[in-house]
Amino acid sequence: MYELRCESLAKSFGSFALQPLDLTIQPGEFFSLLGPSGCGKTTVLRLLGGFEQASSGRIMLGERDITRLPPHKRNIHTVFQRYALFPHLSVFENVAFSLRLKGLARAEIQKRVDETMALTEISALADRRIHQLSGGQAQRVALARALVDQPAVLLLDEPFSALDPSLRIRVREEVRAICKKVGATFILVTHDQEEALQLSDRLAVMKEGRCLQVGTPKAIYEDPTDAFVASFIGPVNEIRGELSEIQPGEWTVASSMGTFRVKKNGLALPRDVSMLLRPEKMRLLRQRSNTQENLLEGEILDLTYLGSRTEYTIRTGNTVFKVSEAEMERQKKRLLNQRDRVFLTWKTEDAILLPQSGQK
Amino acid sequence: MKKLVLRLRDWPPSAWIFFAWLVTLSVVPFLIIFGMSFATRTSAGVITWDLTLANYERAFHLVYLKVLAKTFFLSLGATLTCLLIGFPVAYYLARATPEKRQLGLMLLFIPFWTNFILRIYGIVSIFGNHGLLNQLIMRLGLTDTPLEILYTRFGVYLGLVYNYLPFLVVPIFSALEKFDLSLREAAMDLGANRWQTFTRVLLPNVREGVAVGSLFVFIPMMGEYVIPDILGGAKEVFLGRVMVEQFFTMQDWPFGSALASILSIGLVIAVWVQMKFERGKPRGSAGAGVGVSHGVH
Repeated sequence: MYELRCESLAKSFGSFALQPLDLTIQPGEFFSLLGPSGCGKTTVLRLLGGFEQASSGRIMLGERDITRLPPHKRNIHTVFQRYALFPHLSVFENVAFSLRLKGLARAEIQKRVDETMALTEISALADRRIHQLSGGQAQRVALARALVDQPAVLLLDEPFSALDPSLRIRVREEVRAICKKVGATFILVTHDQEEALQLSDRLAVMKEGRCLQVGTPKAIYEDPTDAFVASFIGPVNEIRGELSEIQPGEWTVASSMGTFRVKKNGLALPRDVSMLLRPEKMRLLRQRSNTQENLLEGEILDLTYLGSRTEYTIRTGNTVFKVSEAEMERQKKRLLNQRDRVFLTWKTEDAILLPQSGQK
Repeated sequence: MKKLVLRLRDWPPSAWIFFAWLVTLSVVPFLIIFGMSFATRTSAGVITWDLTLANYERAFHLVYLKVLAKTFFLSLGATLTCLLIGFPVAYYLARATPEKRQLGLMLLFIPFWTNFILRIYGIVSIFGNHGLLNQLIMRLGLTDTPLEILYTRFGVYLGLVYNYLPFLVVPIFSALEKFDLSLREAAMDLGANRWQTFTRVLLPNVREGVAVGSLFVFIPMMGEYVIPDILGGAKEVFLGRVMVEQFFTMQDWPFGSALASILSIGLVIAVWVQMKFERGKPRGSAGAGVGVSHGVH
């Protein structure tokens, strides 16, 4: 297995430009490129697959420069967004396609196709025609076809977007299990943050041709270094204020809603900061508590019961907060209703501090 | 066939109109000709209904078989040439931007807004002994004597290719237009070079369009009369010409009918074999009815 490296990889066409990208993907890693449409994630994938030519920079697979190689000479396969299965071939022949091109012996092809079909649990479908497959089945055939000749890297181009939402989560779990068994390097392109969090060992968040942050799902979610990354990976509440050090090592953010204790992270921060709070990291109290350092008083505007959790919309002053509370927490308290007065609190270390955005 | 007849009652009115049209304008004339082919022409030139196979016996004489073979191979050659030129053209059009595509299709069909006979005489004025082409190459000093193109087999071949090319481009174009480009990328991704992508993925997926288009031009070529007559002159005798002569010059309708019947039946068999072959191939139609495809395409 080889590591895959993008070195200042850039591409521009029309009004779009992929900014020079430096990325190292470890052998056997499941890596995701996450971002909204037009962010350049698909361009990166197509560059890696060989379907686009880089404007500058290099792609290295191990010690081999593959930047200029055509798709069929790269040891990289793609699972296409709409699968692109060959309609004139059976499921078996679709999976066998790459092996037939290599001119392997019949017995060898039979053996490897059978193995791969067993792995992806499509053995029963071998003689089916492509148009007879359901979405989930087609997905697995596409995966088997890409896996059968053991590529070094497998590219997944929004492979779950064509599936019914109800099917998606299950198929995702299955795909993850298969990936772990195969041990190749996987690169997933998606605009679905949940998908990226669920599947990835690490992910890169992209926007407008730029890679904003690379990290583990936990790091991206809990320690985003960019306001866009923070809000794209999940909902946040924002409090803007001024950062000051009241005592050595003790920091506060002074805002129109009050002054809050914060824990400073490693980032170099300006005076004007945004304090970001995830809905599920905030807690609701019925009574004022003197033991809490950070407290906001508000009124419940709306609440939505979602089974495992309840989502509240709470107004404090002129600001509206979203708070999500696990059902366990909720049961410990007396039920809250609309128009109830409540107090919001959070742990000091759960607040994310970032430079204020949108006023550059 | 049984199924078709059984369901006659369920046919919508539009199907009946088509059916009536087909019967009156194709089936009935053919049956008349087919019946005629068993009649006898007396030495006085009168047609009597003494049923006989003599016309067929005569039709299988070497002279006529030679004409049939010549017509067959020329039509085949012209069809293959049309394919060779038409496929790249169709491919280009299917991949071009909408504006270029529209322009291309228009250019392809503009000649067909002029009269067929005029177009053929247009060819005469280009390829004739005193035509544009010969004047050009003689002025350039490439040759002293004009190239003999007109009134040769090659002239007929040229006329057939020129005249039938667009009818082959269109079915292939529409098949290529429907072809999912990501299949090409998928093939390349899985290790196919350009040629392998063409033969293993592109061609099998547009095969029906190619087959339909080829029959579309091959069948009328076999019966073509005007083009061989004008461009081939008296030296090159093709099947269409022989039939017309039998009907109108020799006034031997029974023999002409026998020739026409042989050609028609031969072509029907060819189409039937082709359809049979298509059905045997693993595309669409005869699925086991298991599973409904959704979200695949």
